[in-house]
Amino acid sequence: MSALRQVMCRSTASLQLYQANRAAAARWASTASTDGGPLDPKTALARPDELEQRNKLSGKITVPTAVNLSPISGVPEEHLRERRVRIHIPPKNAMQSGTDNVNTWQIEFDNRERWENPLMGWASSGDPLSNMNVQFGSQEEAITFCERNGWRWYVDGAEKPKKERVKNYGINFAWNKRTRVSTK
Amino acid sequence: MLLLSRSIRAIHLAAVFRSGAQMDATKMRKTLKFEFSKDNQRRVKALLAWYPKAEWKGALLPLLDIAQRQQGWLSISAVQAVAETIKIDPMEAFEAAQFYTMFFMKPRGKYVVSVCTSTPCKLRGGDEIFEACKKALNLEHGQTTPDMQFTLKEDYCMGACVNAPVLAVNDDMYEDLDEKSLASILADLRNDKLPPAGPRNGRCASEPKGGLTTLKSEPPPPGYMMQKLPDPKTKKCQ
Amino acid sequence: MIRAPLVKALGALGSPTHQMASRAVRTSAMVAQTPAKAPEKIEVFVDDIPVQVAPGTTVLQAAAQIGVEIPRFCYHERLAVAGNCRMCLVEVEKSPKPVAACAMPVMKGWRIKTNSDLTRKAREGVMEFLLMNHPLDCPICDQGGECDLQDQAMAFGSDRSRFTDINYTGKRAVEDKDIGPLVKTIMTRCIHCTRCVRFASEIAGVDDLGTTGRGNDMQIGTYVEKLFLTELSGNVIDLCPVGALTNKPYSFVARPWEIRKVSSIDVLDAVGSNIVVSTRTNEVLRILPRENEDVNEEWLADKSRFACDGLKRQRLVAPMVRMPNGELQAVEWEGALIAVAKAVKAAGGQIAGISGQLADLEAQVALKDLLNRLGSEVVATEQGFIAGGTDNRANYLLNSTIAGLEEADAVLLVGTNPRYEAPLVNTRLRKAYVHNELQIASIGPKIDLSYDHENLGADAALVKDVCSGAHAFSKVLEGAKKPAIIIGADLLERADGAAIHATVAEYCKKLKKPNWNPFNVLQTNAAQVGALDVGYKAGAQTAVKAQPKVLFLLNADAAKVTREQLPKDCFVVYIGSHGDNGASIADAVLPGAAYTEKQAIYVNTEGRPQQTLPGVSPPGMAREDWKILRALSEVVGKPLPYDNLDELRNRVEDVAPHLTRLGHLEPAGDAGAAGAISKSIGGGPIDLKLKELRDYFMTDAISRASPTMAKCISAVNKQQRENEAKQSVAI
Repeated sequence: MSALRQVMCRSTASLQLYQANRAAAARWASTASTDGGPLDPKTALARPDELEQRNKLSGKITVPTAVNLSPISGVPEEHLRERRVRIHIPPKNAMQSGTDNVNTWQIEFDNRERWENPLMGWASSGDPLSNMNVQFGSQEEAITFCERNGWRWYVDGAEKPKKERVKNYGINFAWNKRTRVSTK
Repeated sequence: MLLLSRSIRAIHLAAVFRSGAQMDATKMRKTLKFEFSKDNQRRVKALLAWYPKAEWKGALLPLLDIAQRQQGWLSISAVQAVAETIKIDPMEAFEAAQFYTMFFMKPRGKYVVSVCTSTPCKLRGGDEIFEACKKALNLEHGQTTPDMQFTLKEDYCMGACVNAPVLAVNDDMYEDLDEKSLASILADLRNDKLPPAGPRNGRCASEPKGGLTTLKSEPPPPGYMMQKLPDPKTKKCQ
Repeated sequence: MIRAPLVKALGALGSPTHQMASRAVRTSAMVAQTPAKAPEKIEVFVDDIPVQVAPGTTVLQAAAQIGVEIPRFCYHERLAVAGNCRMCLVEVEKSPKPVAACAMPVMKGWRIKTNSDLTRKAREGVMEFLLMNHPLDCPICDQGGECDLQDQAMAFGSDRSRFTDINYTGKRAVEDKDIGPLVKTIMTRCIHCTRCVRFASEIAGVDDLGTTGRGNDMQIGTYVEKLFLTELSGNVIDLCPVGALTNKPYSFVARPWEIRKVSSIDVLDAVGSNIVVSTRTNEVLRILPRENEDVNEEWLADKSRFACDGLKRQRLVAPMVRMPNGELQAVEWEGALIAVAKAVKAAGGQIAGISGQLADLEAQVALKDLLNRLGSEVVATEQGFIAGGTDNRANYLLNSTIAGLEEADAVLLVGTNPRYEAPLVNTRLRKAYVHNELQIASIGPKIDLSYDHENLGADAALVKDVCSGAHAFSKVLEGAKKPAIIIGADLLERADGAAIHATVAEYCKKLKKPNWNPFNVLQTNAAQVGALDVGYKAGAQTAVKAQPKVLFLLNADAAKVTREQLPKDCFVVYIGSHGDNGASIADAVLPGAAYTEKQAIYVNTEGRPQQTLPGVSPPGMAREDWKILRALSEVVGKPLPYDNLDELRNRVEDVAPHLTRLGHLEPAGDAGAAGAISKSIGGGPIDLKLKELRDYFMTDAISRASPTMAKCISAVNKQQRENEAKQSVAI
């Protein structure tokens, strides 16, 4: 695009607009000739710098496989060496029938001693990681997190497929089966 | 049954329908044993012959009724005896007995006077009959007289609306009542004389009082207003 | 109004419900006619999301497959469908009324709307009715914070109330019922979901709870002031969605948001139920079950649930050494370890070890390693077993697996009372009895199992009769698709135990089916299978016979060894958590950790290794058992090669690799001890240790120390006295 135009434009906004219009026009031209189906409005209406960013993001980012952030995470050595992380799905509370919190994986550290604080009776602990319960969407994410932080981990309890139970109101009244309900 | 003599104090049922069932019943349980009388045992056996062995629990309600007729009311021991007879869990028998209002779980009077106060009876003076009963017996709804002769209940429709107002005493119904007939019924019952059941204003059942208003003529003969169809044998019109 | 045009549109076809009902008949008839094929899945739409379900699935289950949870109070997965709370009403297109999702099976093409206006209004209405008679007890109710009613009122109820009747008749009030020392009842809060009634009737097998009265005056209770005495009574506390049935020892103790939860395993019986230990400030407050389909489903036996207050009493908090005057005196760890090491060095290899009921696998491995290093091979379990039978794993496991037992169709119980030895195995048998037409016979004294069974007698010769095929019940076993024979572990301690074991094992070879091993041994303590897997011999007498100079008692509290049986100069070392029978005969007491205080592996009666996790730390100077043994090994001069749990678990893996695959069950092959068939059976009638509920409550060190268990026993005694008094009154 001509240097004259670039210089002549008063503001970057108008410059960008000009550039966008040019790009759009070019695109219109190309699609008009090939007719390759409906346009994706996101790419059609995006500004060029947005497009550039999106292109960068869509490419794969290579990360070295064993990232260990422990030297910079500030966690004391003993808590890296001696702690084990338990990756699990928290159990459903037996007293309730809601299952909203049994869908996420959670990490939990080994339990250390707590004692009653003499001042107020609250629970004191010497364990800085006692409340470190982070939730994850999947087992792999939790494992990646532990690896990155340098903790030793183990997965407790594989995800078992839920057993499909047959619930039938009619068997409460079966005349010849022991499932006949004598009470409520 | 001898225990049901005047020595038992009147139990006020009004405040106790909600919760006191257990308290009284448990006290009685320790002292009252129940066994079917000889006649009733025969009745029970005859009744159970109707049911296949696996379905004996269907005989629960009839047996509870027999037990109630024998004892006048159903004590826990009676319900348990019935449960043992048909081999079901006692709790199931309790549930059924507690559910139905015709099973009395507390000692009741010899004559349970139930007055209907539903709409048709109300329109024909059922409320006044009830008030009269209350005054005559000196009872509120649900209470029993101290001599265990009467229990007064305000009940629902007994299905004799044509003969309203209606009063039921145990198994008998007295219909078409007014103050005078009510007084005579109660006087009879006080002397343990069972008055004749049925309407009290002279009519036999629920026919119209002033004589028939419909169905006054002879019924039409067979074939009345029937279609003229061909005789299936001869295929000719009749 | 939506309804009128829809009805008119359907018009002459009949009422929509009738149509749906007839469709239901047709669908089920079709399904019945094609039994061989796998049922074809029906497609329904839940909130416009298509889902494929098997025919017969209820609307609630179909929605759950999508992840949509329909609120409910009375529905429970493991109980029969009741459909009386009406909270699960959802709108189905073209239906004039909302349908009860928990009971209605889906039809093809239904469009179910779980969030439409009608559904929401139905939920608000139901919630309004429930709250009308519900007392304002939240601040004093134990269920607050984990209450279904609270959560669902917040999520689905209306935000404002129109209850003005409080100024006239008021709310209903109901008396509390006394149903025992474990379950606290405040029946005013009851919403009559009847979950407890169904549980008692179906799962526990005692029909004690019922609904008396009707309408507003309906009350749930036992009607006759009977205590709800069954070994599974604590589960109604979990089931009750409101605070009507609560945990009596735990009442007013804590709120659920103050609690820290640690997943662990129960060791007070051999089932290995998965539990959640609730703690606060280093105290164990209560124990709740965790769901594990293969072991305990969602239930927990009473002893496991309520014996946790025994963890605070009779604890050994300091190492003790017996002084010359016979008293145990508290000393420092150094002193105790040095005393023990002195005795060990003087013994010169004549050492024995006995592992008791609550010993964990790591400590057992450590003890065996230590004793082997000191030149002794004598390590035994306190509970006896047949001689030479511990080589083959299948000889001492519940081979049919706990979950497998619910598919059995003929079971023979020999010398075992699963109701009180392993209540959660009994629930499986009862489940098979209800759903699978299970036929059960028992050889032993007459016992009250929670289901109908045939008692063949107590004669030990009956075992031979059945196993030779001569008995009537043998036909039943041979004709069954999945027969099982369960032998009690206590029976195998007898002199003729080996013969009984061999006879049954031989017969089970005949009854064996592909993928089904009918031979089962029901263990009574949590440490037995682990010890036998790791190489312990069986029977305390094995250790006593060796007349050791030093005897290590690892949690051995069953009083099978007395001082008189041991040589006079025997130095007894007790490592354990409670001051029970073992500590009373010990010369040195080294305080260990209880199961809620250590990370340890326990193997349950089916052979499934599971680990407990520490919820609290051991009290006082107590330490974890394997650490004590490691320290001792250091002082004695033969240090064990592991310093932390990981290394120890590696050692366990070397010894028995299946034991570190936690939660995973290793199938065990055929049972049968070599060459024991020649011995004959004869030793008197078969008797049981746990015959009645009274015997159930105190069977190990922790439950013996628990005041709640003592209250249970006194309640059972009181109930029995009352029953006897009633029967003796004659009119």
